[in-house]
Amino acid sequence: MCEVKPNDSAPTEDGGEEKDWTAAKAFFDNLKTNKPRPPKPRYAVTIAVSSRTLFNMVAERKIYEDEGLEKYVAYQVEHEEEPLKPGAAFPFVKALMDVNCRLRKLYPDSEELFDIILMTNNHAQVGVRLINSINHYDLTIERFCMTGGKSPIGYLKAYMTNLYLSKDSDNVGEAIEEGIAAATMFTQEMDSELSTTELRVAFDGDAVLFSDESEIIVKQQGLDSFFEHEKEFENKPLAQGPLKCFLEALGKLQRKFYAKNERMNCPIRTYLVTARSAASSGARVLKTLRNWGLEIDEALFLAGAPKGPLLQKIKPHIYFDDQMFHIEGARELGTISAHVPYGIGQKYHKGKLIEQPAKEK
Amino acid sequence: MLSTIQNTDVKQKDADRAVVVAVTTRAVFESGDGDGVYGMGVAFPLLQALQRVNQRLLEENPAESLLFDVVLITTDSQQQQQSSRIISSTRHHGLEIGRFCFSSQEDFIESLLKNNVQLFLSTDRNEALQASQKGVLSAVLDRQVAPSEQLRVMLCGDAVVRPDTGPVPASQQAAQSFSARLGEMRRRFSMLDSPLSIVLVTSSGGRESCGVALRTLRSRGLSVDEAYCLAGAPRSPILSVLRPHFLLSDGVID
Repeated sequence: MCEVKPNDSAPTEDGGEEKDWTAAKAFFDNLKTNKPRPPKPRYAVTIAVSSRTLFNMVAERKIYEDEGLEKYVAYQVEHEEEPLKPGAAFPFVKALMDVNCRLRKLYPDSEELFDIILMTNNHAQVGVRLINSINHYDLTIERFCMTGGKSPIGYLKAYMTNLYLSKDSDNVGEAIEEGIAAATMFTQEMDSELSTTELRVAFDGDAVLFSDESEIIVKQQGLDSFFEHEKEFENKPLAQGPLKCFLEALGKLQRKFYAKNERMNCPIRTYLVTARSAASSGARVLKTLRNWGLEIDEALFLAGAPKGPLLQKIKPHIYFDDQMFHIEGARELGTISAHVPYGIGQKYHKGKLIEQPAKEK
Repeated sequence: MLSTIQNTDVKQKDADRAVVVAVTTRAVFESGDGDGVYGMGVAFPLLQALQRVNQRLLEENPAESLLFDVVLITTDSQQQQQSSRIISSTRHHGLEIGRFCFSSQEDFIESLLKNNVQLFLSTDRNEALQASQKGVLSAVLDRQVAPSEQLRVMLCGDAVVRPDTGPVPASQQAAQSFSARLGEMRRRFSMLDSPLSIVLVTSSGGRESCGVALRTLRSRGLSVDEAYCLAGAPRSPILSVLRPHFLLSDGVID
């Protein structure tokens, strides 16, 4: 199934690791501020966010693009006492922190928590401003990698990352190819009406939770063929898509609330928002989820209707879709959206095949 | 008995300005059998990376005097007896080694001090500890991690900031002055495409510890390129991606 984290029968860490862990535990236990210490990575649900998704760095990015790296870093250093403004992933991160609070109350000794790490290509000197900004908002982000331009992929794997969010679509694409759930985020106007009691995560179905096998049929053979195919194979589970393991990780945390009789107040809620229709192609999706042992709180079958208005009502902290067409529609109505660059949908725009320029070697 | 032999194949560095790095023979050469030339040891890629930094420094400024001056040091009598083989192997592999310091277990530290060594690298933890206790900045060369072309120096940030009580121990002084020289060398290159990268890692503290370490190093003249705050996460998966040539922990070997 999902092999992001080692299973429990894996050998425990060597003496060196235990030493580091014990030292960290002692460090945080001795802090006067009661800051919670970060969980052990092998048990946590690790969410890696880039600096540009966590904070709004549009103006700074422009300096980088217009004037180059040295000027950009100098600017950041000059302004390092000024906190950055929140970015697209900020509400999602706050919601993760709130879930952690609830989990810590119910399970004070558990390491099964969200672990939020900052994963950035930025130079370490820019890091001072990033740390100051994290301090300003009192975010529980204690781990970070500032790679000074080098690829983050190795570090994502080293941290057994369950989800990676970045504005850099190349990094996101590479992560997905390496089997890490990842999505590209975009700058957007912040909706202040998001839920503060519930982390809401919405997923598209095909090519996000599930593979793009059925999407291929739609694109290449049309809708009628798609309906026939899905009916015929209703009982055959779809193959998994890039975000299936992340949904599974969320489900694992949800069950911790259920176990303490908190199902009605569970602070994590998941949504499936799919263009499939309940009557025909929807059954296969529900059966696949059941086959995987996964639950989704609300499944919304749009039968091809636009997703934007529905998402506007749900107000998820993040919505994952593989097609830019849907992402754009969602964003227009204020939904925080993240693009999953996976599958056949990348080659099409609004139903038409995009002419790909010959790739340079 | 100590002796120092200059390598006549290599242009000697400016004694006042060069950063003297001593590496043990055992680290550089693989002993093997027979009388022939030694094979390449663990420190080989490191030496090549140091040489590349020197090359690039001279490209920027042919009159540059702030260069790495690499000396090869023997630390026991057995190695001391192999002097001609050591010298011929160095020649054979074209290594840019300025001097050969021959010493025994009892007096190798004296040799380090006499040769104004600013960084001592050994595969032997005890040797590194001894040297460190006598105030020579030392690091243990790790066999396991495959290094990169770029010289990657890793600083362990948990030890960077100490409470300001009492006199600064000699080993920490050595670390601070080495950091400053390294910082000056790093500034000769731009941010991108540098043959040298300074990496800061903090293992147990939270983000604020790493932030303080960044600022402290900056105030000592060393501008770190990459920073990783582990906050208790396992170190080895991260190290195998980081691939440092060696780790400095501000004079303290842990």
